[in-house]
Amino acid sequence: MKKRRMFIRMITASLMRRRSRMVVALLSVAIGATILSGLVSIYYDVPRQMGAEFRNYGANMIFTASDGEMSLSDVEAAASKISDEQLVGLAPFRYENVRINDIPVVASGTVPEGVKATSPYWKVEGNWFTKSGELMVGANVAESFRIKAGDMIEVTYTPTEEDGTEAELDNSVFFTVTGIIETGGPEEDYIYMTLEDLATLTETDGRIDVAELSVSATSDELADYVSGISAGSAAVSASLVKRVTASEATVLTKLQALVLLVTIVVLALTMICVATTMTAVVAERRKEIGLRKAIGASDKSIIEEFMGEGMLLGLFGGILGSVLGYLFAQQVSLNVFSSSIVFRPLLVPITVIASIAVTGISSLMPIRSATEVDPALVLKGE
Amino acid sequence: MSLLELKNVSKIYGELHALDDVSLKVEKGEWVSIMGPSGSGKSTMMNIIGCMDKPSLGEVLLDGVDISKENKKNLTTIRRDKIGLIFQQFHLVPYLTAVENVMLAQYYHSMPDEKEALEALERVGLADRAKHLPSQLSGGEQQRVCVARALINYPEIILADEPTGNLDEANEEIVVDLFHKLHSEGTTLIVVTHDPEVAEVAQRTLVLRSGKLHKEKINENFTGKIHFND
Repeated sequence: MKKRRMFIRMITASLMRRRSRMVVALLSVAIGATILSGLVSIYYDVPRQMGAEFRNYGANMIFTASDGEMSLSDVEAAASKISDEQLVGLAPFRYENVRINDIPVVASGTVPEGVKATSPYWKVEGNWFTKSGELMVGANVAESFRIKAGDMIEVTYTPTEEDGTEAELDNSVFFTVTGIIETGGPEEDYIYMTLEDLATLTETDGRIDVAELSVSATSDELADYVSGISAGSAAVSASLVKRVTASEATVLTKLQALVLLVTIVVLALTMICVATTMTAVVAERRKEIGLRKAIGASDKSIIEEFMGEGMLLGLFGGILGSVLGYLFAQQVSLNVFSSSIVFRPLLVPITVIASIAVTGISSLMPIRSATEVDPALVLKGE
Repeated sequence: MSLLELKNVSKIYGELHALDDVSLKVEKGEWVSIMGPSGSGKSTMMNIIGCMDKPSLGEVLLDGVDISKENKKNLTTIRRDKIGLIFQQFHLVPYLTAVENVMLAQYYHSMPDEKEALEALERVGLADRAKHLPSQLSGGEQQRVCVARALINYPEIILADEPTGNLDEANEEIVVDLFHKLHSEGTTLIVVTHDPEVAEVAQRTLVLRSGKLHKEKINENFTGKIHFND
């Protein structure tokens, strides 16, 4: 039998022999590892989850024309600099003064899918407009004109002649009202239709006044995008909606600090538990340690054997903890963010190594006391 | 040169002289018993000879090396290489089998060798119990495993501390017979015992009293066999 085989046989037999005590130690390591791997999973997933959560509060980036006019293609070109995974939504808006029953109203041409993504908080009574010939009206407009979903309304626009004077003939188009918008904000004073319908109505094409974007990225990444887009595009000037990005960063920092703190506390508790168990094990095995030393074990051998046991405990606890930690993080994520967590394979070796390190460090003091056992105690049955 | 020589050895704890100016020699291949009442200094002497303690005064020469000057680390090495220990309480590792307990001594000495360990168990008549745990063995069997473990590394001296203290007569006889066998093979034996019957089997009996060598008795009729008085 080779020396290593004998070593493994000794430490496994010793662990198996003290099964109940070792199960307690194993559980404490496993629980520590579970919290560690679970919280680290959450720690890395929180920005993503929080980002998704914060995107519900509206756009966090705005494009405006930097000089003169910007077109839809300018906006799309600028937005293409943001990675597809991070770009949650893009809503271009063009505003024009139109009339309903000869009363002026602001009409906005936009892309309904984009607005849904950037402004998920919009409450629409009825349905969203989806195609040409349909529009949604703000709640205030609806109230002023006694409009309800399903009504047909005529929207009139007076084009401007080339010399700057108003044209004699108005353009007018009939629309079906699909829904009434309630936002609690200025949107309730506008009517919304497709960009194409607004272009038809006004007989002018392509201008975009503002584009709202929802980007799921850290505040640093957002700042990089903004400076990159503003510098790289002649027509588009990008800026951040400070209120949203700043509060997102604050909440994120606090949450991550909390996760870190809890992890440290749990690791400390695990260390205390392992140290206590190892101390008890050393006390229980004083005779055996004395015997080993009496028959020639050096301090190094004693350290190796106890360290071996501690690390084996850390290995199994770590493996168990990584599995349980993933399940724990998954549950937390499902309950708090209502979405599943991404499995990070790298976390398994990290958890196992951390568990081994934690058990190793917490075994140091008890092992030190093991080396101080006097071999003479085995004589005389003392 | 004697295998073991104590020159004016004293061990002093404060006011107490656990050993008081003891000098003795043990020759290679000799079988010596050490007797004495409790507190006579037997254990102290045992610890010093077994390289587990150092004397306060005097010299201890083991195989020509003065072990009274060695540090803890060197004492461990000397103990591992030169001394085989047999204990009253057997002290087998409870979760290792008989053969693994024997191999444990090899493990710390050099390299575990199962074949050799099995041969040692065979010498003490326990080949068929090799795979048993200590809890599955009788006291006598455990002591024989302890003997096998003590002799596995071919030590210069086998140091036995009350080896028959926990055994019945039948097992006592088996163990003494084993000692006889080891002695006839040339092993040096130092046996600390309370039991006069066990002590008298040896070639020479040293009696300690109050830390001093009180009496030395040569066994003229040495046979190495135990004779019970009853």
